[in-house]
Amino acid sequence: MAWRNLWRYGRRTVTTIAAMTLALLTLIVWTSFVQGFLRDLETTIVEVEIGDVQVYPPDYRTQPSIFDRIGTPTELVDTLGAMGFEASARLLGGGLAAAGEASAGVSLRGVETEQDARVSVVYDRVAQGSWLDPSDPTGVVIGGRLARTLDVGVGDELVLLGQATDGSIANGLYSVRGILAPFSEATDRGGVFLVRQAFLDFFVLPGGAHQVVVRNAADQPLEASAARIRAAAPGLDVLTWRELFPTLATMIDSVESTMYILFFIVYLAIAILLINATLMAVFERIKELGLLKAVGLSPARVVWLILWEGLFQAALAAAAGLILSVPLLFYFTRVGIDLAALGGQISISGIGMDPYMRGVVNPTIFVGPLSAMFVIVLLSMLYPALKAARIKPVEAMRHQ
Amino acid sequence: MTNGQRQDGTVVALRDVTKLYQQGSLEVQALRGLDLTVRKGEFTALIGPSGSGKTTTLNLIGGLDSPTSGSVRVEGVDLGTLNRKQLSRLRRDRIGFVFQSYNLIPVLTAYENAEMVMWVQGVPVADRRKRVMDLLNAVGLEGLKDRKPTELSGGQQQRVAIARAIASDPAVVLADEPTANVDSETAETLISLMETLNRDRGVTFLFSTHDHRVVERVKRVVRLVDGRVDSDEAR
Repeated sequence: MAWRNLWRYGRRTVTTIAAMTLALLTLIVWTSFVQGFLRDLETTIVEVEIGDVQVYPPDYRTQPSIFDRIGTPTELVDTLGAMGFEASARLLGGGLAAAGEASAGVSLRGVETEQDARVSVVYDRVAQGSWLDPSDPTGVVIGGRLARTLDVGVGDELVLLGQATDGSIANGLYSVRGILAPFSEATDRGGVFLVRQAFLDFFVLPGGAHQVVVRNAADQPLEASAARIRAAAPGLDVLTWRELFPTLATMIDSVESTMYILFFIVYLAIAILLINATLMAVFERIKELGLLKAVGLSPARVVWLILWEGLFQAALAAAAGLILSVPLLFYFTRVGIDLAALGGQISISGIGMDPYMRGVVNPTIFVGPLSAMFVIVLLSMLYPALKAARIKPVEAMRHQ
Repeated sequence: MTNGQRQDGTVVALRDVTKLYQQGSLEVQALRGLDLTVRKGEFTALIGPSGSGKTTTLNLIGGLDSPTSGSVRVEGVDLGTLNRKQLSRLRRDRIGFVFQSYNLIPVLTAYENAEMVMWVQGVPVADRRKRVMDLLNAVGLEGLKDRKPTELSGGQQQRVAIARAIASDPAVVLADEPTANVDSETAETLISLMETLNRDRGVTFLFSTHDHRVVERVKRVVRLVDGRVDSDEAR
């Protein structure tokens, strides 16, 4: 009966279902984009360069010095490995790069290529040339903007200058092996990656590391893992990426809140539409509802009769929304939206983003909007349904 | 009293029933100490001028309204002691209703309207089908079972309503002006139908009517005036 009742007011029902479908579709696509954006942002932050957790010598973050090092980084990396964490030691230093008449201040990073590949996908962000190779100790990989500043390309020579730990002037001639795609402003403008041994030789360092980058398994809470790492690295500073980039962490949290606010606004509009449409339907059928109660339909069954009408509409909207979402999601996950067309390179708190904003497809982008819709439909139908259940048959049947 | 009522075949018993309506600032006394007994198998008409309390009496017996004072009993059960759920169940199982304006559900076919009470009762589909086909045969609508109310004449709709009213084998069918909206010929047919059901199946009918054709055919006429029984004539 509920199903047939829907089609008595066909145009109204179709309008309501169309609005619900549009709302659902919007929220599925929106959720897909938000999740895609958060995934890209987190991937850029965590996977490319920073890792989930970083370990530093005491006070290095506030007063960086080439002399302050983690003395036995291999031991720490092995310990963390035994605890289930992938980790890699890095060397950090400052200097000057020059090519021809041009020069620029640079930040040098010495990495153990094989070990670093376990914590970072920076090797995958080489736009031109190739990543570091331990067999080519004079080959360096530099940021894209730095390459433009120095006007160098792959294969060109580059002079690095700095202050070695023995007091001498560190200098060396290197060749550009690769140029990185933009993923962080600092790296883009002045990042120079060297193999670990080349870095040690350049700065005349005996060993150690300035930073250990640690990855955390996706199913492990970040703070709990950080606490375990702190226990394994006594006397060292252990910071999560959220502590290293508090602005970004807050932004990611607020993006999720924004998503729920949009859910609320869109579904509030749907709820108002549904309540209005259902109240009208109840009012128009007041005599029939009175009759049903007169012949013994209990108030609870009257409530269910009305709720079923809402659930049928929600089910139709769900089917239509899911079907329509397929081509949209296909396009937005494959092609995406080119944000660069709106204003060039996209960067958030110094972290360069992929200019193509792409959605993701996973069960949660459907489950959230769908379950929210069914809950909202049930809640919105409850008021008209209770009103219908309270109809007094004797009064309803006098209704004209 | 209860057992006594059942033993002497009493189906409906109203004792000293009053009903006061509030219409704005006005109080309207619809019933003023009404006493009425209806026994099983009766074919009774309540007559009287407009405002004499006929429809109010049917509504009270049907549990659609409650008296201001006095008691209304159906098969010995005092309706004043029942909660809403129990009243719903009583209406569903023991009372049949026939209304002046048919009150069929427009989205349901004649068959589905006739089976509605049994659907509400939760009667199994197979039992429902058998019973409904029997009822539609009895009211002469076997060939029109798949028609919606809008595809039926007024008389045919009222036959569906009668089939619906007797589907659950109720203790009493309360028919409020059942012939008011149909032409004379149809009215005659409907009265004959209800008479047949009363005679052959023992269905108890209590009418509220102005229609002299109904009054001429019933076995008992109770005349109400100003909310009281003015006369009670058995034939």
